[in-house]
Amino acid sequence: MKKIEAIIQPFKLEEVKEALKNIGIDGMTISEVRGHGRQKGHKEVYRGQEYNVDLLPKVRFDLVVPDVRLEEVVEAITNAARTGKIGDGKIFVYDVAEAIRIRNGDRGDAAV
Amino acid sequence: MTEQDIRERFFLTRDAAAMLAARTALVDHVVRERWAWMPQGIALAAVGGYGRSELFPCSDIDLLILTPGAGVSKKDDKVQQELKEPLAMLLRDLWDKGLRISQSVHTPQDCNQIDNTNAELSVSLIDRRFLAGDEALFRQVRDPRAELGKDIARLTKERHLEFQGTIYHLEPNVKDAPGGLRDVQVLRWLAKLGAGDEQNPPDTAVLFEVRCFLHYLAGRDDNRFTFDRQDEIAKLIGASSAEDLMRRYYRAVRGISRLANRRLERFEAKGSSLFSQFRDKTSRLSNSDFSVVRGEIFLRSARVIETDPGIVLRMFEFLAMHGLPLAGDTLDRLERAGGHFEQWAQMQSDLLAPFRRALGLPHAATALRALHECGALESIFPELREMEALVIRDFYHRYTVDEHTLVAITAALNLRGMKGDPFAELAAETQDFDLLAIALLFHDVGKGTPDEGHVDVSVRIAGPALRRVGISDRAWGIVEFLIAAHLELSAAMSGRDLSDTAVVRAIAERIGTVERLKLLTLLTWADISAVNPTAMTPWRRQLLWKLYMLLNAELTRELSTRMAPPETLGSPEMRAFLEGLPPRYLRIHSQAEVQEHLRLDGEVKDKGIAASLVRSEVWTLNVVADDRPFLFASAAAAISSFGLNILKAEAFSNARGRVIDTFAFADEHRTLDLNPGEVHQVVKTVIKAVRGEITMEQLLERRPKVKPDARVLAGARVAYNNEASPGSTLIELLTQDRPGLLCDIASVISKSGSNIEIVLVDTEAKKAIDVFYVTRGGAKLSDADAGELVEALTRVAIPA
Repeated sequence: MKKIEAIIQPFKLEEVKEALKNIGIDGMTISEVRGHGRQKGHKEVYRGQEYNVDLLPKVRFDLVVPDVRLEEVVEAITNAARTGKIGDGKIFVYDVAEAIRIRNGDRGDAAV
Repeated sequence: MTEQDIRERFFLTRDAAAMLAARTALVDHVVRERWAWMPQGIALAAVGGYGRSELFPCSDIDLLILTPGAGVSKKDDKVQQELKEPLAMLLRDLWDKGLRISQSVHTPQDCNQIDNTNAELSVSLIDRRFLAGDEALFRQVRDPRAELGKDIARLTKERHLEFQGTIYHLEPNVKDAPGGLRDVQVLRWLAKLGAGDEQNPPDTAVLFEVRCFLHYLAGRDDNRFTFDRQDEIAKLIGASSAEDLMRRYYRAVRGISRLANRRLERFEAKGSSLFSQFRDKTSRLSNSDFSVVRGEIFLRSARVIETDPGIVLRMFEFLAMHGLPLAGDTLDRLERAGGHFEQWAQMQSDLLAPFRRALGLPHAATALRALHECGALESIFPELREMEALVIRDFYHRYTVDEHTLVAITAALNLRGMKGDPFAELAAETQDFDLLAIALLFHDVGKGTPDEGHVDVSVRIAGPALRRVGISDRAWGIVEFLIAAHLELSAAMSGRDLSDTAVVRAIAERIGTVERLKLLTLLTWADISAVNPTAMTPWRRQLLWKLYMLLNAELTRELSTRMAPPETLGSPEMRAFLEGLPPRYLRIHSQAEVQEHLRLDGEVKDKGIAASLVRSEVWTLNVVADDRPFLFASAAAAISSFGLNILKAEAFSNARGRVIDTFAFADEHRTLDLNPGEVHQVVKTVIKAVRGEITMEQLLERRPKVKPDARVLAGARVAYNNEASPGSTLIELLTQDRPGLLCDIASVISKSGSNIEIVLVDTEAKKAIDVFYVTRGGAKLSDADAGELVEALTRVAIPA
């Protein structure tokens, strides 16, 4: 199993959700997060005052999928979240040692 | 009768009182039977809900075991020692019989002591009931003294705060939320302590019935009236829908909550000397309509609402000014005379003016809520009843539609008093703030009409309602826009690529002006903040602020673009006049105003300048002239010389070099209204000033001095921006307003050899917010020149 953590632009939330739904992925955790990558922050000027905008709003998807579905899911997220501009986000993939469904004790792929 | 029998009978009869009594009797029997084996010299009492004989299906069974006390005598010590083992066995047996026991062991001395550490025990003892054992020992427990009322008030206030102090939760807790069953007990306790009568408030039956069902359906002491349970219970009690059941529920809890709050206020007020001092001081606020007694507002005359219904609106203003609560007697009178007031209100065509005035006062949010609580708000706008206690289910909203509306208005109105928040700063510099509150009042009223998009329905309902009370075309234009667009910024924040300039331009075009953008941003902020207490996360705030900045920059940039009117627009003269003006000109001026400018433009050909003064909501001076140095500064000086306070000013020029200046100003002393001859004098003076026949120094020599206000000047600044516009340098000023300020600023700019291309001037709450688009030699200023100009302006605009 793999855990996929995708940080994307907030306005791409619905598109990514829809793309995952279209390939049968329903289980996911979505969080509002703030951060920056190489894009870093920037300064904005309003009425002569400078505002430091160093952490930008993003959306984070967390989901765990069986190994065989990894590429398909990563592709769906990438295609849906891409605009081609700086700030589109990142996807991180981790190995998952075990998954357990609390309700009935299912383990492994059956639990995700 | 067994627990199962009691359950079956309840599902058959829905008689909660019978159910509670039957279960209490059953538990009494079991407990007494088992108590027979306990040692002598101790007593058993029921307390809490069990003590009141109101044992809900899964409620804890609160038992008080009274012992004579340790260390009093050898005999008593022996009783204590001998009690331990039998008591443990008793409790184990009762648990084994399926009873959830919550026990405490005390001496009568413990029970008779009231302090902060055992207030809950003292409260539970109000409902004590002897069950078994040594009755003489039980009688040693005295009734609590009236001062326990203060503890009840404190505990109740803390509990209400956990629920944001509102009854209108979409999934309420029927026991602990404001207006819930705990408040019914509070009323009974306060009655026992000597406050009010012991009568139940009307219609508590629905709460008892619902809680019984909740316990039976969940199989535990779960008092959350969730959406699923609302559906289930609506079917069980034969309600036409879950929404109908909830309306019945909210009506009941509203009655309970109001009565409880009224009684609690009396206890909260007692004993605080500071509060007493404040309360006594407020009596000085009494006037010919209202008397303020012990910090509460009373009507001076008993049947005044029937003879002078307008007093309700004066009361709204009085409340909004002072923020004091209405006395219970006043609320009762308002409710009783509600029909009479409504009949009167529906015949009035000018109610909006006092309504708007009140919305500008410091305690407007409190006043509006009071007006809603007594039904007077709905008497003015019966359309609002569409959303009364209306449940619209979604994952995020926590309140009913009417409560969401009031929370949103409160959030918006209170924003003005906050410091150090960019949205608060925006609120402080926004004009027509009262219209924002009015738009919020109607923004979701369409939700009461199912199967249609609520935004369109809200606009459709708000229009006739506001026209009836006398809204002007200009004000309705703003309110209509705000209601119609109230979801647009939220949608753009989460669903649009804001790095795409075309997207931002399209949204900016729909909004039209910076003034509308400010109002819509604040409305969106308030609307999101009122969804639930944590909805306005820093994440959303940042997205909304970013969107505001982008749109503000886009609308600022657009000011530099020049219109090329299409062939189809108006007459050839009109098209020639409009050519080269920014699109904003048409967005902010009505057709009648444009016609007036065109008329003046015709006069300019012969005279070089033409001016007129027009009275609408405020006075507006229109000046059309061939461009010349100090034109704007001279006109501003002439207006100020009459003691008139400029609220808003704008200056644009068209392709033929014709300048159109407009100044909106307040005539606070009604000089022009009372002396019509002065109107001509103002126009004549402006023309003379612009022609240079009177100097600005002469005009301003008698202007009053204004003392610097540190609070207003805290955020004062002057800055230039060479990025925002392709052809001009923007000079932005934020400072304390004073007579002649605009003239001084414009003079400095003109003296520096710069040309004023566009001016946007706003004045709000003592603050002047001015933006000048300036050029030198037809181009932007260099950074060095702009820096020098900023320094010169700072010296004039911001007192050292």
